[in-house]
Amino acid sequence: MPLLEIKNLSVSIPTPDGDVHAVRAVSLDIERGEIHGVIGESGCGKTMTGMAALGLVPKGARIQADRFHFDGEDLRENAVRLRGRRIGLISQDPAAALNPVLSIASQMDDVIRAHRDMPRRARRAEAAGLLAATGLPDPERVLRSYPHQLSGGMQQRVVIAQALATGADFLIADEPTTALDVSVGAQVLALLRKLVAERGLTVLMITHDMDVIAEACDRATVLYAGRSIETGPVDDVLQRPGHPYTRALLAALPDAAPHAARLSAIEGSIPAPRSTIAGCAFAPRCPQAMPVCAAEPPPERGNDGRRWLCHLPEGTR
Amino acid sequence: MSSVLSVDNLVIRYRGGLFSPRPKPAVNGASFQLAKGETLGIVGESGSGKTSLLRAILRLLPVESGAIELEGRDWLALKGDALRRARQKIGVVSQNPFLSLSPRLTIAEILAEPMLAAGGPQSPAMREKITGLLSDCGLPADFLDRRARELSGGQAQRVAIARALALEPSLLILDEPTSALDVSVQAQILNLLSDLKESRALSMVFVTHNLKVVAHISDTLLVMRRGDVIEFGRTEDVTRAPAEDYTRELLSFGRKAVAGA
Repeated sequence: MPLLEIKNLSVSIPTPDGDVHAVRAVSLDIERGEIHGVIGESGCGKTMTGMAALGLVPKGARIQADRFHFDGEDLRENAVRLRGRRIGLISQDPAAALNPVLSIASQMDDVIRAHRDMPRRARRAEAAGLLAATGLPDPERVLRSYPHQLSGGMQQRVVIAQALATGADFLIADEPTTALDVSVGAQVLALLRKLVAERGLTVLMITHDMDVIAEACDRATVLYAGRSIETGPVDDVLQRPGHPYTRALLAALPDAAPHAARLSAIEGSIPAPRSTIAGCAFAPRCPQAMPVCAAEPPPERGNDGRRWLCHLPEGTR
Repeated sequence: MSSVLSVDNLVIRYRGGLFSPRPKPAVNGASFQLAKGETLGIVGESGSGKTSLLRAILRLLPVESGAIELEGRDWLALKGDALRRARQKIGVVSQNPFLSLSPRLTIAEILAEPMLAAGGPQSPAMREKITGLLSDCGLPADFLDRRARELSGGQAQRVAIARALALEPSLLILDEPTSALDVSVQAQILNLLSDLKESRALSMVFVTHNLKVVAHISDTLLVMRRGDVIEFGRTEDVTRAPAEDYTRELLSFGRKAVAGA
């Protein structure tokens, strides 16, 4: 059984101008011990999917799903209890996640004290041990520091150590490297891989960056307009994409074209979040669209663990 | 080939505290040339000195030593009115179009501003020129009466590029112009920039932390690290045989993301 099991999740937020469909139909199976990438462009619903699993959707939002379970427990009822106990969050901007006026020691201690029954000295040792586990070279010095005295990469390691301190075994990492330099981001991704291998963690990695998916993830799911349109092992999704949108997204990368050649941009724009979509959401922009695409929901192609939604028969390009 | 911009042994150093030792220079002896009609890519991470270098080229920062020539003129010697007039030769596009476009003005007003500031009279000809600029940047004329908040990120960045071209600069400086955009929109903007480079024989300085983006569109490439220029050469040469491990590391990140690579 997958650790996180999502089938047909939708999140709508009522507004005076009608419902905003932030997530329309996302299905996601995340197995224990994998890093699962969720990739998509702005407004595709990737962050809202993660927030729904944390029970952090906006007030009044409606969550519906055929299945929305974490380790057998329904997230619609238990998300708030599981958050911070089993499910941790690593956000994009570590500087915003840390309190600027408290030392790292006191912020680490807050987390450990809330989750474990330990005497003060043991908590301090535990904090130092967790910081060391995230690859920070001098944990005692880091504990005495304030966030502004640390670099972005060090701050992100502290945030990861805090998530570990709760005892969480499932981390939702929302663009964890976007605010960092490329070489520092690569180190943070390597750390996450190491923690997955050593501690049996499971990670949901939300990102817009194909390079991050390629560097760090085992499997990936592509979202478009609030729907999961393709999922599979990273190599398959990146090297042999099934869905025309995935293909178009990869073709738009600067390294997909010869030097100085024109890039194949995707014409048009994403559907409005308040609109209703009858068929395939990508149909208006798809170079291979057929009349049926806009009219009917696309069928599922592929096989176990390697699926995409498209009217085009398998093998057509 | 004549160079538009020539920088020779440029050193920029920020002042330290009164009693603190002299800090290391933010830019430590940078030298490079940009030929007319070419694009120079400058890559570096935070603290590498790329922004300091850019600010010095824009004369927003004093330099400690070295020389900058713009179209053969001693750029650092210009003062007052002469500097103000000469600055019109440089157009600037920044990272976040929503911060650089006024939310109160219409797109037509935004594009008119540089021309009015340069003393141009408000006339039907100006309106025509604005429409032309906008269409060169891939936006139809019905955008003229909209405001920035009604635009998508890609559309707003097109307006920012159109504004930077309003005074027909000989040099366009782009500071992370696609970093705030989605991949598919980034491709549109990169295509637009290569079109403009062709049609207007523009010379460009493209600054970014993303080596792959800049390696795609630049003719020459300059990599900075901790104030030093660690690579400078033709883009093909730098990407094929990087002199530094650091450059190789940046190039190889996420390599398998490209189908078939």
